[in-house]
Amino acid sequence: MNLYTVLENRSSSSFVSLMILKEDSQDLVDSLLLAKIFTVKGCRVKSAKEKDAWVKLRGDELSLLIMQVKCLTAELGHWKKRTPEITPMTEDILVTLGKEEFQKLRHNLEMVVSTIQSKNEKLKEDLEREQQWLDEQQQILESLNVLHSDLKNQVVTFSESRIFNELKAKMLSIKEFKEKLLCTLGEFLEDHFPLPDGTIKKKKKNTQESNAELITLNEMIEMLINRMFEVPHDPYVKISDSFWPPYIELLLRYGIALRHPEDPTRIRLEAFHQ
Amino acid sequence: MSVLRSMDKLPDLNRATILLVGTEDALLQKLAESMLQEHCASELRVHLANSLPLPSTVNRPRIDLIVFVINLHSKYSLRKVEECLSHVDSSFFLGKVCFLATGAGRESHCSIHQNTVIKLARTYRSPLLFCDLEVGSFRATMAQRLVRMLQICAGHVPGISAVNLLSLLRCSDSTPSKEL
Repeated sequence: MNLYTVLENRSSSSFVSLMILKEDSQDLVDSLLLAKIFTVKGCRVKSAKEKDAWVKLRGDELSLLIMQVKCLTAELGHWKKRTPEITPMTEDILVTLGKEEFQKLRHNLEMVVSTIQSKNEKLKEDLEREQQWLDEQQQILESLNVLHSDLKNQVVTFSESRIFNELKAKMLSIKEFKEKLLCTLGEFLEDHFPLPDGTIKKKKKNTQESNAELITLNEMIEMLINRMFEVPHDPYVKISDSFWPPYIELLLRYGIALRHPEDPTRIRLEAFHQ
Repeated sequence: MSVLRSMDKLPDLNRATILLVGTEDALLQKLAESMLQEHCASELRVHLANSLPLPSTVNRPRIDLIVFVINLHSKYSLRKVEECLSHVDSSFFLGKVCFLATGAGRESHCSIHQNTVIKLARTYRSPLLFCDLEVGSFRATMAQRLVRMLQICAGHVPGISAVNLLSLLRCSDSTPSKEL
């Protein structure tokens, strides 16, 4: 009867009332028994209009449960009736049992040892590998640092001196070029545009013509160039007697020099550089 | 002979028979092969069936465990299993019936909700196992479990019976009639 009291505590009362409505011939006895117990609690009677399918389902489940309960009680009774056989604790049996236990223990411990050893080895390998990798990385880092510092230094020192040197070199080369040009110009003019009467550079007194000494075409052109660059807003040079008129005419005709628009006595160099 | 009964034949010595019922033939076949590969002290026999009732012409041994395989991807398998359940005698439901739901891994293909199967198992007071029978390793594990269960249901394991196993396998939320 103990099991029925257990059931009584768990199931709800209205659930049982439905069971009463659907009575299976097999479960009649059980259902009446349960109904007896539960009427004490005062069950609510549900109408027979409940769905048949749902009722049948719950009915089947309950019948299965009751069957399981019966089976378990039967088994419980059977176990209770059995007296456990005690193994006589003689020496041989104890020794055999002890040996078995120890063998099992040894087997387990050996397994543990082998797994731990293999784990250990794996870890050592991993450690070695990682150490190697770390060393390599550190080497790389060192070399990169060295490179970095070198580059930094290079950049700083070179930029100043380099520019300075470059500028100096440039200036020198330009000066050289200018000198060369002027020399070549001078030579060319000497060769092709000499002063009259054969004497070119020597100062010659020529009473027929003006008192001033004639200057070479080279000197004339130099004067024009210098004036152009010294006084850019007034590059005009007054024609003096030392200018040989044919050469002035030559400069004017070839467009190398220009007259002043209002003053015919002044000429200037054509601005080839603008 | 339209209803399977659990105790109408005598048990054979050291032999355990399991019946796998389901609509997925390939899966049942694979599960049967995995089970037969298990090391087992008793002699195993695996019977496969698409539906009950089984034809009465075949001479078959006493069945110790019935496993209903439901594929969560097809409603047809669930319907078939529900039809077959009426051909099983209620004495089987004392721990000798088990439900196996397969295909729960692929959530998008499931057309049956897990709660439906859970309710079905609860109605018949039988354990419900979930396993993806298509994956080899899961199938092997499930085969191992089923072999152990079969051994217990056939009575080859001293000290535990099918009903005991049932009460051990019961999940904690199986109190009845919460819906009232």
